[in-house]
Amino acid sequence: MKRILFANVLIVALSVFFVAGSVFGLSEVYKNNIYDPGMLKPTDSVLKVKVGDQSPDFSLPAVQGGNVTLSQFRGKKNVVLSFIPAAWTPVCSDQWPGYNIAKPIFDKYDAILLGISADNIPTLFAWTNQMGELWFPVLSDFWPHGALASKLGILRSNGTTERATFIIDKQGIIRYIDVHDINERPPLEDIVKELEKLK
Amino acid sequence: MYQIIESNQDTKGKIKLIGIGAGNSPFEVNYFQETYQIPFPLFDDKNYDIHEMLGMVRTPYFFVVKINKDGTHKLTYTQLGGFKTAEDFLDLILKESGLR
Repeated sequence: MKRILFANVLIVALSVFFVAGSVFGLSEVYKNNIYDPGMLKPTDSVLKVKVGDQSPDFSLPAVQGGNVTLSQFRGKKNVVLSFIPAAWTPVCSDQWPGYNIAKPIFDKYDAILLGISADNIPTLFAWTNQMGELWFPVLSDFWPHGALASKLGILRSNGTTERATFIIDKQGIIRYIDVHDINERPPLEDIVKELEKLK
Repeated sequence: MYQIIESNQDTKGKIKLIGIGAGNSPFEVNYFQETYQIPFPLFDDKNYDIHEMLGMVRTPYFFVVKINKDGTHKLTYTQLGGFKTAEDFLDLILKESGLR
């Protein structure tokens, strides 16, 4: 701090290195295209699965093309499912860009990340394009609407999903569930801590 | 920009950079700093305490603060959004702060 005081000019760069937890710190990249729903009921669903359960298999269309099926990773990769409630909303718009620079962490723990929302493919395409190139598949649980979210018990009463993270091991067993307060972004270290346990 | 500042005798020691991660935990800031080998100090601001004091601006946002000899300081320039080249941005800062 002493060195800084001796300087003539201090440049303070305010940025979101990872992800923001609300409309605060929202990236300028999105300009005025982010719809702020205000504070929402933290959670609005009842889980239908629990840690230790075999995860239901699913196959969902990806923004990048084709379908991604959970069982294709069986015996090969740990799988992190990151459900975000809706495209073009504040917290979600900073959550995945944060994961996008954390690929080495997922690689370290032999994990793949699957980003999922109940938005349709065109919406997810336009929205994720603002984030630059994502290294992980972005999947649409749009039709039948929120079918996977409903099976897991994280479909909210308005048709969006919870802000939820599931970690599924290579045997297809659910090892971690975090149905987070929808208004807040889960910190990266929560995922890291759980992936560490799978080693 | 850090490299330019440090390699020029006219600016070295006269301009310092710090970064603040709005909404970022210490773990996230450390990861970012190590991954991108950021050579200047970064501060976490998980609960947006600093961010609120700075007016809850969008990011990235730059504040240029001139520190006077008597210890007082003055905000001389602010900018929302990134910059095209470090050279141009530094040039602008030098002019706005009266260092050039």
